[in-house]
Amino acid sequence: MGMKRIIGIFILSAVLATVLSCSSRPEGAAALDEEAPVFPDYKEVTVPANIAPLNFSFLGEGKAVLLAGDKVIKSRRGVFKFSRRGWKKMLSACPDGGSISLTVFAEKDGKWLSYRPFNIHVSPDRIDPWISYRLIPPGYQGWQEMGIYQRDLETYSEKAIMTNDLTGGNCLNCHTYRNGDPSKMVFHARSSFGGTVVVNEGEVEKLNTKTDSTISALVYPYWHPSGEYVAFSVNKTLQAFYNHDPNRIEVYDEASDVVVYDVRTHEITWSPLTKAEDRFETFPTFSPDGKWLYFCSAEAVGPMPDKHREARYGLYRIAFNPDDCSFGDSLECVYDAPAEGFSVSFPRISPDGRFLCLTRHGFGNFSIWHKDADLWMIDLADGSIKPMTGVNSDDVESFHTWSSDGKWLVFSSRRDDSLYTKPYFVHIDENGAWAKPFLLPQKNPVAYYKDLMKSYNLPAFTTGKVSVGERKLTDILRKSPGTDVKVK
Amino acid sequence: MVNRFALAYREQQQLFLFDKTYIWGTLLKVGGLATLLARFIVQFFWNPTVALILTLVLLALSAFMTWVYVRDSRKDWKTIPVCLIPSVFIGASLSDNCLHLEYLTAILLVQAGLLIFKNIKTRKVMWGMALTIILYFTAGSAATIFAVCAFLRSLSPLSPSSRSLSLSKGSNGRWFDKLTNLAIPAAAAICGAAAYFAALVPTWAAAFTPALYYDLDASLPWMHWIGWICLPLFLSLFRLAKGRHLFLPGLTLAALSVIPAEKISKKIEETQPSLAYVLEHYTNNEDWDGLVKACEEAPWLPRVANYLNMALAWKGELSDRLLSYDQGGPDGLVMTIKDRAVDVAQAHIMLAMGNVAAAQDVAFNTLSSLNGYCPAMVKINAQVELMRGCYDVADKYISLLEKAPHYRGWAREHRRFLHDDAAVEADPLLGNGRRNLSAKDAFVMYTNPMSELFPILDANPKDGRALEYGLCYLLLSKDLNSVKHFITDYYSSPDSPELPRIAQEAMVFYSEYSRNMEGVEPFGLDWCYEHGVMPETVRRFEEYQKAAVAGPVALGRFKGTYWYYLVHKEI
Repeated sequence: MGMKRIIGIFILSAVLATVLSCSSRPEGAAALDEEAPVFPDYKEVTVPANIAPLNFSFLGEGKAVLLAGDKVIKSRRGVFKFSRRGWKKMLSACPDGGSISLTVFAEKDGKWLSYRPFNIHVSPDRIDPWISYRLIPPGYQGWQEMGIYQRDLETYSEKAIMTNDLTGGNCLNCHTYRNGDPSKMVFHARSSFGGTVVVNEGEVEKLNTKTDSTISALVYPYWHPSGEYVAFSVNKTLQAFYNHDPNRIEVYDEASDVVVYDVRTHEITWSPLTKAEDRFETFPTFSPDGKWLYFCSAEAVGPMPDKHREARYGLYRIAFNPDDCSFGDSLECVYDAPAEGFSVSFPRISPDGRFLCLTRHGFGNFSIWHKDADLWMIDLADGSIKPMTGVNSDDVESFHTWSSDGKWLVFSSRRDDSLYTKPYFVHIDENGAWAKPFLLPQKNPVAYYKDLMKSYNLPAFTTGKVSVGERKLTDILRKSPGTDVKVK
Repeated sequence: MVNRFALAYREQQQLFLFDKTYIWGTLLKVGGLATLLARFIVQFFWNPTVALILTLVLLALSAFMTWVYVRDSRKDWKTIPVCLIPSVFIGASLSDNCLHLEYLTAILLVQAGLLIFKNIKTRKVMWGMALTIILYFTAGSAATIFAVCAFLRSLSPLSPSSRSLSLSKGSNGRWFDKLTNLAIPAAAAICGAAAYFAALVPTWAAAFTPALYYDLDASLPWMHWIGWICLPLFLSLFRLAKGRHLFLPGLTLAALSVIPAEKISKKIEETQPSLAYVLEHYTNNEDWDGLVKACEEAPWLPRVANYLNMALAWKGELSDRLLSYDQGGPDGLVMTIKDRAVDVAQAHIMLAMGNVAAAQDVAFNTLSSLNGYCPAMVKINAQVELMRGCYDVADKYISLLEKAPHYRGWAREHRRFLHDDAAVEADPLLGNGRRNLSAKDAFVMYTNPMSELFPILDANPKDGRALEYGLCYLLLSKDLNSVKHFITDYYSSPDSPELPRIAQEAMVFYSEYSRNMEGVEPFGLDWCYEHGVMPETVRRFEEYQKAAVAGPVALGRFKGTYWYYLVHKEI
């Protein structure tokens, strides 16, 4: 058989396959005044123009086709899959914002029915192209495999940044970047081959962060915008398992403080106001101008866990001088949540400094296990606070980070099955108005998320790919004795 | 030499899934094909006898392939005994459960590669390098055995094919041509280095040694090197050995090799006791009769007593048969209340006690096993999620088990409970568990078993197993006052179960002596009769009192009674 003939047969097969896979819009379909049963719920969500195709599944029975714009897509095993090129074309048809109209048709008893059409709104605000997250079995205390991964949001490609099979199955946690800069990263490894890894523009170092003056190794980090400091909490954290409370698990602190680490000198320092004996301080966050250190603080209660429901955290801030790493001499209460009978955690300020998003819940600080945990937004211009209605669900919302331009927020939610957290993205405009969030796209979301036995933990945007190799990180953790952090 | 229950334990250290993502995910790792084959085979290890047979078949296959490889210089069967020796040592090493079965499947792949290599007549260096690379990524570090054997074969003057090993024809015999064969081990070295630098393996040791097949970052014991070294040694040396009288020396050597192999097994057993595997097997398979029988070997050990009493509880015979065994106190019921470590038995004990949340806490921590998921713990997690009414999460576990042939039936049976509260509540186990979850909330595994049992019993006094655990815990603690209160609270209503014999014995004893005890409110037989004590028990107590005066011989027939435990057993 000649080469030309083989090529001819190949082209003919491809054309036939294309023709056969295309369907026409079902004629004479009866309109149903019902929302299409689909997963993920992408109805009326707002997406960036550079997001991967939002494939979704029809959850009803029988044949289904999707009318997307003027394209007709037939479901395969219930999944509507957009071609990459077709999806890009649809998005590029909305350069200044617009919508893709979608209608699901389903065949029932030999007749075609059409569900209520819906839109996917396309924002001209592009999203940071990568997110990273930890994949870990949800909560409890045991795990075998876990890792920090990064995902290209423009495709479905996922790569490991660091997995614990290289370091004896230990715990890896708290990966954080300086405003999404992939060249400035910090994360912790615990137990065997433990230490804090700081990636700073190609340089990688391991820190031994437990000191005689602090109650634990460094825990929750946040980079100073200059990249010269990282604020950390130090926590004596414990975990207990409820008999039947829907929250299942309570993670609580017996003590905690906030300190600031100087990347250049390997020293930590603090203010007496961030390390008070009679208070629990945690979740530090710098303001985008670097002049304020925000953190959550509660009146110390004990003994734990008996009094764990009495620990309520408010939001405070203290002035910070990056020139000499010094603190102001007074605390300012930004949001007195305990006065309203609530507690707050994970304050995160938008890069323009205008908005502060936090998690509000009944008590405690580890909101990821609190069903009542919702995202709330503070307008720092006037101090007003409001719940992110439409973004929140009946289940947990927590662990959020802003994109580098402040137009998008990614957060974890347990809304789909009450246990396994998944990352959702929400568009925030310049006035702080938010749209309906959408779930991280997958090739086949139903199958993927059902089969996934791990939670997405601490999703964080990055403006590019984290390029430091796993080998380098592994060698640092396994071989380097690490630099001892000193107290200033 | 190889404990079949130790082999069966491997089945609970993984969950082989007929699933595209799982299969590709496994294949894409270094040594992926060996791992996949091993996991496929291990899924049948749920039956210890099948586990033993399959392992022996694989070891025999390895010995056979060794023989096929060496026989071109020994065309008779007389080399067979000597070919058994590497398999004997590999088999002994497999007694160590930290050494995964892929150690053996990888060696089999390497042996298959060597047989292919043996039959290649031209361009052997190129083929050798290609096979090394393929084997490295399918079998893992065992490819180094292939590279060493292929290189040594190229040096051998015996095989006619050895003359055509070099890249260029007509240059046979020259030392520098033989040196070109170094390209084969060099390919293995490059593959290992590539795997290391690409972070596909954690250490250099994992890249080139059997450490790849050993537990993550655990230190590889020296004995596992014997089989690893034996194989290339025998494959190469016996091809070179001359003489036709290998049979008797070979047979003698093979017979003698059993001695060090047995020593290896014993050494491994020092850290991995064989009884533990037996108990674990019966627990995982919920074979409570088998577990009771196995525990009878050493019921006085607290850990064994935990298994024994759990099995009795699941059979509904805990209080009836508790004192038929040598009990050492309340630790024999549940030894490690605050221990959340990986522990299959603890999850089953907690479930038997009705402490559903604690069972899940332990089961979830035990869910991730060495090579995937522990099937028994996936089942408990699925059951507890059904009890909780968290059907979406239960669906995840059930779907997972549906992909594993041995558990498919169980999973499908439980699928019917999804989103069907009435079916859950009507099921004896699930319904009981759901009622237990309605207990007053508290943290579990936090204080002591009784403080967690009381709220469970308050919520669901009809939980027979929890009731028996509570009663037996107090009886074994010799806390008679608490036993009396427990009976008052949970055995006094008309629909209460019959008061177990040992509790009757306790109360008769207590009523007799309460009159002389300080700080105890005296009570008489009337109270006992009102709370389920039978006249027969009172009569036997009188006999016991006489026997106690008569001496130890007369007391012998009261050994299974609570009186004997109370008076003669130190705890």
